[in-house]
Amino acid sequence: MLLEQTTTTKKITKATGKRTKRNRIIGVFLTAAILLAVMITNDGAFTISGLLNLIGLSADTGERIAYAQGGNRASDEQLLARAIHGEARGEPYEGQVAVGAVIINRTRDPKFPKTIAGVIYQPGAFTAVSDGQINIPLKPGSTALKAARDALNGWDPTDGCLYYWNPATATSKWIWSRQIVKKIGKHYFGK
Amino acid sequence: MNLRLMTRRDGLLGIREKLLDFKRRLSDRKMYSIVVVVIAASLIWGISQYKHAADLRQELDNQYNRAFYEMIGYVNNVEVLLLKSMITSTPERTASVLQEAWRNANLAQTNLGQLPVSQPVLANTSKFLTQVGDLAYALNNQNMGGKPLSSEQFETLERLHNLAISLGKSLNDLQNQLSSGRIKWGELADKGTPLFRKTSSKLQLEQFEKIDKTFQDTPKLIYDGPFSDHLVTIEPRGLTGNEINPEQARQKVVEFFGKDKVRSVTDEGKTDTEPIKTYNFKVLFNNVPDDQWASISVTQKGGHILWMLYNRPVDEEKLDVQKAKEAGRKFLESHGYSGMVDTYYLKEDNTATINYAYKQDNVVIYPDLIKVKVALDDGEVVGFESKGYLSAHTVRNIPAPKISEEEARAKINPRMQILSSGLAIIPTNYKTELFTYEFKGKLNNRDFLVYINAENGKEENILMIIDTPNGILTM
Repeated sequence: MLLEQTTTTKKITKATGKRTKRNRIIGVFLTAAILLAVMITNDGAFTISGLLNLIGLSADTGERIAYAQGGNRASDEQLLARAIHGEARGEPYEGQVAVGAVIINRTRDPKFPKTIAGVIYQPGAFTAVSDGQINIPLKPGSTALKAARDALNGWDPTDGCLYYWNPATATSKWIWSRQIVKKIGKHYFGK
Repeated sequence: MNLRLMTRRDGLLGIREKLLDFKRRLSDRKMYSIVVVVIAASLIWGISQYKHAADLRQELDNQYNRAFYEMIGYVNNVEVLLLKSMITSTPERTASVLQEAWRNANLAQTNLGQLPVSQPVLANTSKFLTQVGDLAYALNNQNMGGKPLSSEQFETLERLHNLAISLGKSLNDLQNQLSSGRIKWGELADKGTPLFRKTSSKLQLEQFEKIDKTFQDTPKLIYDGPFSDHLVTIEPRGLTGNEINPEQARQKVVEFFGKDKVRSVTDEGKTDTEPIKTYNFKVLFNNVPDDQWASISVTQKGGHILWMLYNRPVDEEKLDVQKAKEAGRKFLESHGYSGMVDTYYLKEDNTATINYAYKQDNVVIYPDLIKVKVALDDGEVVGFESKGYLSAHTVRNIPAPKISEEEARAKINPRMQILSSGLAIIPTNYKTELFTYEFKGKLNNRDFLVYINAENGKEENILMIIDTPNGILTM
């Protein structure tokens, strides 16, 4: 009888062992699937830092600083530099000036708000604004401020473009209907 | 054999024993309470986060609603004021009504830009409001000068008024839907539920798109406002010469920097958009690392350098601004731009950006603008911008001024102390040019530039010079 009991116990243990192992595997797959789904539906989270951002663990979201709105040159410079830094951090210098120039071109176009702050903070206009990257303090040695100044002084590598997008990550279908003027770094610039 | 079975069974039993023991410990009251507390704490945290998010959402919704309702209010005002301006009898009265219309159109457009509707959907509405504003502004100036509306302008106002009526109507429809709760801003702005956004909010986007389509057929307004469509494709006057090919453009690039300096010139493609088509290049220099290069853009017509930007770090400031101005002037002379004088400069990041204007017969011509950026460590030119010059430069037929300098001086506010005077041609908001007297003066310890029209003595513009430690910048 003892032998029978032992065999049944062994069978049960083996069966439950298999079940827990299967459950564990299912659990891992489910978590991975959820994570993947979350990453895909949130463009910003397609990277590890983006994912961390999502969980609120990012080291990048620095202090939130308010900016004066209106036509003051010093504050325009700072705001523009932050926007360039948020949007075109790893881009070549010409690309950074180009992003600044696009923002300034928009202030002169009737389809967009008339102030730099208005253009930058227009809901949905820039991903760096929507996900808070604009608030990251400028890293030392960053050329964003210099690029902002050149853009404010009139240099426009885009020859008047109003739009730019990264062809690899752009999700909006509409943006592709814009006339492409040139490509600088990772971005297409268009009118 | 029995022995072996027994030990194996013991081992298995050992693991199972341990598991059971753990389960037993878990059932123990203390463990139980700890687990319950942990679960309860997570629940509370979760609920408070959710509530916090809901509060923020509500605040955001409120902002959007505020912007929306304000916009509707201003649009309705614009409609009424446009109507009024067609009825008023005297130019002065028309002027003040149009001024109000301009202010309201501006405010409507500002609030429009705060709505969470994607930009392309609202582009035409924004354009309409801007154009209404500009027209009102331009006509206002005209009326203030005592000139009443012409019949053409009256018709334009009528057309705009009709468009304003239909915009107002569509917005009121939209407002009804919002108030009845059929649409929520949150759905539009919610990035966390993009699927939801795509389906249910499509309704609202469609509404806005419908409004926007009304304005796609806005007739090209024939006035000279700054945002007139027809001025976007203005023919660049300074773009002289014949079409060149990329090889010739490459030559121009080498000439621009100097053959000895240039290590390599890489083709970066061409830009074929109006009004100025260009070839683009990237230039590497001798004895300069690969990560410092210059971008340069050469016009397809005439091979002029449209702009150049050399991103090299400038770490110290050895030259004073006077020497920098000299370096800039020498550069312009040696590159075929003669007759340029410096007008304003800005010192930043150890470089000086100097604005040069063309001077003809003692008249400073501001529209013919070239900007030169000089590095203050060795006087090297690290930036060049000539779009203004290429757009506007031509040899002008400048008439003699119709009023004398004394007469012009008399028009200036007597409280201002005049320091110097001269003649100038200045650009207007409407892309035309005016021939003026330029007076630099002081009032309340602030510097001003006053421009008096040399043909009719009207005060055309007043610029306040802001002396910052970075240089002389005007606003």
